[in-house]
Amino acid sequence: MKYFYLSLVGLCVFALPAQARPVSYPGGWTAMVMNSGDANSVHLHYSPTAYTSVGVRSEYRRANEYQLNSVQMNNLIKRWNSKNSQANFYLKSGVGVAYSDAGDFDGETEAAGFTGIALDWEDRRYFTSYENRYIEAGDIDSSFMQSARVGIAPYIGDYGDLHTWLMLQVDHVPESDEQITVTPLVRLFKDVHLLEAGMSNQGDVLFNYILRF
Amino acid sequence: MKHLFLTTAVLLAFTLPAQAQTYVDVNGLVCDFCAQSLKKVFSKEEAVQDIDVNLDTKVVTINYKDGASLDDERVRELITDSGYNVEAIRHGDGEAAVEASDGE
Repeated sequence: MKYFYLSLVGLCVFALPAQARPVSYPGGWTAMVMNSGDANSVHLHYSPTAYTSVGVRSEYRRANEYQLNSVQMNNLIKRWNSKNSQANFYLKSGVGVAYSDAGDFDGETEAAGFTGIALDWEDRRYFTSYENRYIEAGDIDSSFMQSARVGIAPYIGDYGDLHTWLMLQVDHVPESDEQITVTPLVRLFKDVHLLEAGMSNQGDVLFNYILRF
Repeated sequence: MKHLFLTTAVLLAFTLPAQAQTYVDVNGLVCDFCAQSLKKVFSKEEAVQDIDVNLDTKVVTINYKDGASLDDERVRELITDSGYNVEAIRHGDGEAAVEASDGE
């Protein structure tokens, strides 16, 4: 199952980063793949409005070695628009099924759910974000994680240009052997494509890709 | 005959109405994704030829098809429903503000 999932991720052209906006424009679709030392995930969602998205998500949690397939809803609780910046407050939740294929719970299936908040602020030069997530999957997993980012654009691109961001992500996973992970990364954004690549201080590769259509 | 045709053509060029445009000052435009969102939303409107988004000035220029236009209420609705705020709406030459929102 693990190899099937990893192959799926490898083959999948779609992708998404954790700190990407979880809601698109009305009628917009977003496909995302996120890969890091903690998990690999694929997420496809549709936004009927600019304040809600509904989608399906599949992820493999490396630490506890289980697959979590879920239906996820994201809600933009509040957006602050100003002349030169924007800030957002999201609620992201999902329900689904967790299946363990290794360890103490090999072959076990549990109902699962998760919820968390996400906050971000950005202008055209600076970016900062925070998000957390609590997962409850019966005997298989019950864990909390949080992540924060800061970023700076080395140049201000015009509309249609390749936009580049240099970012630093800090992850805190209390259940993990290495509770704190720091990941410098580069974000490239052009047209409908957003790509992020980095490597953590644990040596884990981060690779995220998002496509909006 | 040639001169008559040219004269007529020049006169017509000056008498035909210029393509209408609406200029909207928008709050929250910070990235290409914001611009893409508005382009997608406005592209679904029958009256709209295309839009230009200037991320430096935060001005959205709506170019209409010949003889078509959107009223200010509809423009405001489309932008607000896309998740952004309208600061002001102007028409024609883009100089005179004819309407302003509360800028929430």
